[in-house]
Amino acid sequence: MSSFAWRLLGVLLLCVVLTLSSSAFLTVGNLLNVLRQASLIFLIASGLTLVILSAGLDLSIGANLGLSACLAAAVIKATGSIAIGIGAGLGCGMTIGILNGLLITMLRLPPFIATYGMLWMVYGINYWTMAGNTIYGFPAAFREIGSGYLLGMPIPVLLMVLSLIVGSVFTRYTTWGHEIYAIGANAEVARLSGIPVRRRLILVYTLSGAMSGLAGIVYLARLNSAEAGIGEPLLLPAIASVLIGGTSLFGGTGSLGGALIGAVILTLVLNGMNLLTISGNWQPLITGVILLLAAGIDTAARKWNESQA
Amino acid sequence: MMTAVLMILAVSCGKPGEDTAGKTGGESIAVFTKNQTNPFFQTVRLGAENAAKQMNATVIQYIPTVQDSITEQLSEIEDAIIKRPGAIVFIPVNSKALVPGIEKLNAANIPVVNITDRVLGGSVISFMGCDEVNMALNTGRFLLQKLNGRGNVIILEGVGGSENSANRVSGYRKALAEFPNVKLLASQPANFQRVQALGVTENLLQSYPQIDGILAANDSMALGAIEALDAARRKALVVGLNGTKEAIDAIKAGKLLATGDCDGFSHGCLGTMAAVRHLRNLPVPKEFIFSVMVIDNTNYAGLDVPYDQRMCPSWESVVRDK
Repeated sequence: MSSFAWRLLGVLLLCVVLTLSSSAFLTVGNLLNVLRQASLIFLIASGLTLVILSAGLDLSIGANLGLSACLAAAVIKATGSIAIGIGAGLGCGMTIGILNGLLITMLRLPPFIATYGMLWMVYGINYWTMAGNTIYGFPAAFREIGSGYLLGMPIPVLLMVLSLIVGSVFTRYTTWGHEIYAIGANAEVARLSGIPVRRRLILVYTLSGAMSGLAGIVYLARLNSAEAGIGEPLLLPAIASVLIGGTSLFGGTGSLGGALIGAVILTLVLNGMNLLTISGNWQPLITGVILLLAAGIDTAARKWNESQA
Repeated sequence: MMTAVLMILAVSCGKPGEDTAGKTGGESIAVFTKNQTNPFFQTVRLGAENAAKQMNATVIQYIPTVQDSITEQLSEIEDAIIKRPGAIVFIPVNSKALVPGIEKLNAANIPVVNITDRVLGGSVISFMGCDEVNMALNTGRFLLQKLNGRGNVIILEGVGGSENSANRVSGYRKALAEFPNVKLLASQPANFQRVQALGVTENLLQSYPQIDGILAANDSMALGAIEALDAARRKALVVGLNGTKEAIDAIKAGKLLATGDCDGFSHGCLGTMAAVRHLRNLPVPKEFIFSVMVIDNTNYAGLDVPYDQRMCPSWESVVRDK
């Protein structure tokens, strides 16, 4: 069995436990609810997966989400146009991504440092311009992106499925996608074999930035408000989703499907604890235990697979 | 000798002699708040600026870049001691962990006015804050009365282990104790954050077909809960705490029942005034507890003004000599 299948089995096991312990769990409403909650983390985690596949890291995704959401909010308020607002949010996300890519490829800064510096700059700009204020109250048509349905599916879930399909096709079946894996496995070998490493890395960080921008817009539409610090709590869960999904922090192996499983596991843990109304005092401890169990089972399964091979 | 040096330093920082009481200006006041993200502290800072302007003093803001960071606030205290402001208006990010910081300020002879959250040690000229338990109790009671003392409610808690959250949740629980026919279905943490409150409320709406009231430990969480209710096309009465502008707009729109408020703007005003008054040898009470207001659709009118257009109340109208 592939390690991906093992992870899927882990999710199913978690679902069985929750179904047995709460009658509210296995309902269409709640399953859509879990997917909708996972979508925000998955959107930023999907861009981050590409970065980590290339053996890089993007710590600016949370800050980027915050600034993109606030900018989109301000632009919608100022112009009254949803389209211009969305354009501004996506543009902001991409611009931050391009800057990350340039810092890493042109100045040759380590990705951790470059994107950590970017995180602070982006927060700085956002805190300074927002000055503790909240921008809120958007047109109903815009809010549909966050809370509307299409063909019975919540729109954020459709966006998640769409990015999963497009991203998976891109990484698996296109030359550029294969080149990203090759760079992650060994950048020097990739360069010698003629892959334009710098351009591909800039692309990867731009895509990560754009996904943060998109997530910012979904956040804004879902919460109907934006303030400076909103992305801060999403960074670590996004990184954790990518890694729980089996993408190696050293680059070269992993997949977007894995990131989806990671995001769903993180969401299921919280959903389950709420449904079972476990006291807040215990929630962090239980979250930690389940994450370690998930990682432990994954490692054991991989060892077992290797011994069989 | 030491005293003489301190006297000179104090004078150079604008502390007047007896003969000039009430006639000076230009004192510098350092204002310490917890973070740049919570609108409550922004209103405190605006209140402080407004009061300083009225009294012809200046304000320097100290805000941790990492929100609610204990280590950062401690090092900001050390920085302030080097810069030597006339006095300090202080909100601790943690009531116990910042005691050593207050002791350092005491040792450096810089007077401290403690506002909003009480610091549990060291010596301060005055504590001016609100009783958070009481604020939640009054707000919770208001909602439970609107439910006619019957129905199912949930509590959205703040950050686990934080004093603010503990006090507010205990206030809500005290209110619930007064209404035996109201059932508390769940009390779950959403860390004072809107997006988490949205998720937690969505989850709870799945397991409970009938939720009549939601008691949130701050306004952001209350507004997140309202988004969840709207998306699920369910109805419940919701209250929050802090009296933010956005909460007042939600009250106006008929979405939020009420928000309990202790008025951060006044904390900033009165705290700064107390610090300047102390430097001018005017009397300052050792302790002042702000009254709590439950804002609903009958009384929001006067509060519906952007904070940067608000003016501090006069000292005499708020603080009466005891």
